[in-house]
Amino acid sequence: MKNDFRASYPLWMMAFIVVLGILAFGLNSPIAEFVNTETETSLTIRLEALEGFIVFLSIILYFGLMAVYLMRLKKHNKENPTQKISPLAIRPPEYLEQDEGMTFITRKAVQKVYSFITLALPTLAVLAIVLPVPRLMIIYGILAIAFIQYLIYYLEIRKHFKGAEE
Amino acid sequence: MLKNRVKEMRARHSFTQSDLGKRVDVTRQTIAFIEKGEFSPSITLALKLAKALKIEVNELFWLEGEKEDEK
Repeated sequence: MKNDFRASYPLWMMAFIVVLGILAFGLNSPIAEFVNTETETSLTIRLEALEGFIVFLSIILYFGLMAVYLMRLKKHNKENPTQKISPLAIRPPEYLEQDEGMTFITRKAVQKVYSFITLALPTLAVLAIVLPVPRLMIIYGILAIAFIQYLIYYLEIRKHFKGAEE
Repeated sequence: MLKNRVKEMRARHSFTQSDLGKRVDVTRQTIAFIEKGEFSPSITLALKLAKALKIEVNELFWLEGEKEDEK
């Protein structure tokens, strides 16, 4: 499993989500001013020193992570010419469907994720409607759901792979 | 639940999971899932496994509760 890029793909996505969370904090903490009049449409974001540093750091982290991710992706595609992954693919590349056994465990993991999503999204929507939740908290709620869905998928696949070690 | 003798027959033929997987065109992990009883193979794969292990398919796979005395 360690060598299969598709199996570790959820970990990459979880890392990207964490970085996105840091960026969201940096961008939402300072004063953001949105002007939309007949003569002007502008978005002004004033960053203090700390927020500016957080935004700068998260952007650096994001591009660093992206560079390593693309290198690993390139390596995977070179080593697995029949199972290439496109960085722009719509179909989730973490699906393991080489044969019926792998398709079976992928289906089990996806079912668990689906069960979670069907509960988590309406819960978040109700919380956002009923409670005076700040925008940043809603963003964090969405990111948490995205993070947890990858975690559920990864743990389920890992459980089967661990049991399948020779 | 489907029971099987894949592990026993594989050992009898001195095949690794990878060897057997290559013979029936599946991954090593799928062989492991079948051996552990986590996954019930399709009829096609069951027939391929029986052929690779030189055994009748009903000797390789059976339903839990049936043939218990024989095994």
